[in-house]
Amino acid sequence: MRKFKKGIVYLLFAIPVVTQLYPLLWLLLYSLKTNEEIMDGSFFSFPKTFQWHNYSEAYTSGSYLKYLSNSVFVTGITMICVIVLASMVAYAISRFRWKYGNIVMTIFLMGMMIPMQATLLPLMIIFKNIHVLNTHLSLILPYVAFSTPIAVFILSGFMRDIPHEIEESAFIDGASVYRIFRSIILPVSIPPVMTVCILTFINIWNEYILAATFISSEKLKTLPFGVYTFVSQYSVNYGNIGAFLVMGALPVILIYFFLSNKITKGMVAGAVKG
Amino acid sequence: MVNRQMKTTFTVALTAAMALSVAACGNSNDNSKNNAAASTAPDSTNSGTATNTTKSDKKVTITFQNIYPDPTTPSYKMVHELKDQYEKEHPNVKIELDTLNTDQQKVKLKTQAASKEVPDITIVNPAAQMKPFVDAGLFAPLNDMLDQNGLKDTYQSGLLDYYSFNGNVYALPDGNNIEVVYYNKDLFAKAGIAKTPTTFEEMLKDVKILKDKGITPLAIGEKDSWTGSFLFMNILLRTNGGPGFLQDVMDGKKTFEDPAFVEAVDAFQQLVQAGAFPDGATSIDANAGGNIFKSGKAAMWVIGSWETGAVDASSVAGKVGAFQFPTVNGKGDPNQFMLAPGSAFAISANSEHLQETKDFLNFFASNLPKKQFELKNAVGLGQKVDGDLKAAGYSDLAITIAGLFNQVKGGDLSFDNTMNPATSQVHLSSIQNLFVQKMDSAAVAKEHQTAFEANK
Amino acid sequence: MKVLKVPARTIAVFVLPCLFLYVCLVFIPILVSLYTGLLKWDGLTSATFVGFGNFKNMFFNDPVFWPSVRRTLLYAVASMLEIPLCLGMAILLNRYVKRGNTLVSIYFTPVILSVVIIGQLWKTIYNPASMGGMLNGVLISLGLNSWTHNWLTEPKIAMFALYLVSLWQFFGYHLLIQYTGVQNIPDELYEAAKIDGADGFKADRYITLPLIVPIFKISIVLAFIGSLQAFDLVMVMTAGGPAHATDVISTHMYNSSFMSLKYGYGSAIASFLVVVCLVFTGFINTIFNRIERKFN
Repeated sequence: MRKFKKGIVYLLFAIPVVTQLYPLLWLLLYSLKTNEEIMDGSFFSFPKTFQWHNYSEAYTSGSYLKYLSNSVFVTGITMICVIVLASMVAYAISRFRWKYGNIVMTIFLMGMMIPMQATLLPLMIIFKNIHVLNTHLSLILPYVAFSTPIAVFILSGFMRDIPHEIEESAFIDGASVYRIFRSIILPVSIPPVMTVCILTFINIWNEYILAATFISSEKLKTLPFGVYTFVSQYSVNYGNIGAFLVMGALPVILIYFFLSNKITKGMVAGAVKG
Repeated sequence: MVNRQMKTTFTVALTAAMALSVAACGNSNDNSKNNAAASTAPDSTNSGTATNTTKSDKKVTITFQNIYPDPTTPSYKMVHELKDQYEKEHPNVKIELDTLNTDQQKVKLKTQAASKEVPDITIVNPAAQMKPFVDAGLFAPLNDMLDQNGLKDTYQSGLLDYYSFNGNVYALPDGNNIEVVYYNKDLFAKAGIAKTPTTFEEMLKDVKILKDKGITPLAIGEKDSWTGSFLFMNILLRTNGGPGFLQDVMDGKKTFEDPAFVEAVDAFQQLVQAGAFPDGATSIDANAGGNIFKSGKAAMWVIGSWETGAVDASSVAGKVGAFQFPTVNGKGDPNQFMLAPGSAFAISANSEHLQETKDFLNFFASNLPKKQFELKNAVGLGQKVDGDLKAAGYSDLAITIAGLFNQVKGGDLSFDNTMNPATSQVHLSSIQNLFVQKMDSAAVAKEHQTAFEANK
Repeated sequence: MKVLKVPARTIAVFVLPCLFLYVCLVFIPILVSLYTGLLKWDGLTSATFVGFGNFKNMFFNDPVFWPSVRRTLLYAVASMLEIPLCLGMAILLNRYVKRGNTLVSIYFTPVILSVVIIGQLWKTIYNPASMGGMLNGVLISLGLNSWTHNWLTEPKIAMFALYLVSLWQFFGYHLLIQYTGVQNIPDELYEAAKIDGADGFKADRYITLPLIVPIFKISIVLAFIGSLQAFDLVMVMTAGGPAHATDVISTHMYNSSFMSLKYGYGSAIASFLVVVCLVFTGFINTIFNRIERKFN
């Protein structure tokens, strides 16, 4: 009976493994098929011969490297800014004794409820006036701004629970607040920072509405925009699209699998007290 | 204390703001340099017709928003080859292409327009769809530029009217197309259909025959709802006995509850009920819908003649013919077509290099026909071009379509090119609804009329 | 407890850079948007002030609005109902699997994929059998021909087909949050309970559930906000069609602004969305605070 129960439980664990991983396999097979094989729609079949040329074609016609390096640049800068800025605010909210801490927290939390699409036009007008349209800054700024609420939320939750003896002893030793923040709080907070990283990364890496609207120069465009354009082109070569999608998803998947254990740990740490 | 606190707060805010603006300068280097160059140099007078090389060292970047993203299409090649040629002849001019797909471009232009930041050259649709932009004063009149190099005379007579408001031309079309019915001769033969339908009743009969043979009768991608509307409007053009129905509605001479409109809805529903369209048509986007035909899975495709080049480049090339949309209930003239004057190039009224942009567009529009002809994309061109299709190796299909063009005896523009955007959206989704459920035709008509009155 | 009493200047250094950026780029734009909601404006020509005219139209004259609100709220309810399921799964994982992290990471995969990919995949699954749709194919091979549907184009079904994709995609997200919450409960508590004779589900009832409430709340709030703003997936898969059958608040807002060129009206819908978000989140918070107090 016990064994039977265990079997059921394991089955319960196995089903989502199949359903959640299948899309990756599907995409991979899709990208290696000919148009005819894809149009047949036989879902489980392997391609007769692997159409590797789909990849070389997607690579050459899609400006992959340029889009990729733009995406890496924009996402990288955004993540650094989010982590630095949000952890500072989170530290102040969770560890300083001041009147407006709760108000500031509430203001940030309200930001989570604002849909990005609703701010498209006002942002456009602001950026026009500070002359950053069609630069990477026009993406980095809103990305940072829209990522901070959740980051502040997670980080302050974690920082609230750091035992304050650590800080006190450092304070008595004459360390400044900045020093404590830099050499004690930040290093301890690495797990939730990882969580913030991956959440920010996922959102920004896949964002295309702002990217399509604020960037006009070909040389500044980012990867999701490239993927989206590539997908909706006129005469359709499905295999190439599949290949481009795989190449677009690859960086996320790689980073995710390298960091996944750290992320789970960070979530534990970060989400405890919201 | 309070004072000091305020002061520090202010200082910090200021520092942050400065840091921001410094970063901004650092990043927008390219742009601001150009802007500076543009504002110091006096506007060049009518110098340099398009073909001369102007020996100006004034560096100019022209942003050219366009909707030709696919490197395998002739349009893409046309834009890029003309751009390269122009940049070579004018080393001081750089053409920056902002290439988007159609949907993206529509949204982007609207956002840009709302913040008065229209790119030097952009793309708009004719008549009602470009009117709000013209009313907002966003586009520069192109009359002076059309007179240079005889550009104006290359356009088919009357074509530029779709892009003219208050006596000024505001955009130059990339083509001029009509709606036709493409059909796959092999599939027709397989189903034993000997001749193409000339009446709607015959068409319905053919639909049923094809359906029984397991062939999708009509390809469509109705997720992009303009496709269904384009077909519906062709039926309306027939049931109304001629063009002008929407104009009459706008002039208050008719309403949408007119018998002609109800009859058109009825006829359209007959097509749907007969199973003419692919399963799940409303989730298929326009490109994928076209692919059903281009991959030989559907027998007919009712669409604009702009697809001729793409059909010739697909796997059904050589097997495809075309015919006029049939009469409906004995009404209408097959030689009246749904007209589709092309997307058009407009210039921003606020362009920092207005003259240079005009010069470039003049060159571009003057050379477009020749280039398109070379690239085998001359069917549905809005401009006159020297050359014989047959001699140049164009397909039979292209020649058939060119023949249909010669028979055109007027017609109508699509719904969204005639009516205001809000009414158009109601219409589009109302027609889309017919694909998924049977409706009372009178109710559909009423829905149109209500929307029209609410958005006058 | 907050320990440090620092000068205001230090607080300013820590808080203002981020707050400044955030207020300028998130708060001010949405305030502008709220104001635009009071205008009749096509985004191009000059606007006229109509006060609450847009809201009146929205509430009383727009046949698309209320159905889209209903669909959105149903979306939210469905996503929130998924969370107890995730919690149950998380508890089981914690009990039966030593290194559950790997499994959780696998479940998380769909979250990291872009909506373009996910939309494409599920469209292929939902396609009619004649186009090789997997779901219908499976049903037919099981002899259940009458169960086949055009999942994305039948108005009564399409929205549920979209809900399912969303539930599938965010299953791993909420499981991860719940799992980490469960893992974070100190083992000593369970050991102590064991000595008192509470084991298995009994221990869950008295230890896990009370301690997980805050994490549970986070998931609920995130799910709620997420589904209220659901946009990309609907755009990619159905664009709100057929005939508005899958329109949610955010797609209706987008279409009104950019397709119908009723920019003021679209902004009014956006305002409504933000207000609903605020009110309901406050509501959820109150409920959970009560629950937490009860447990303590």
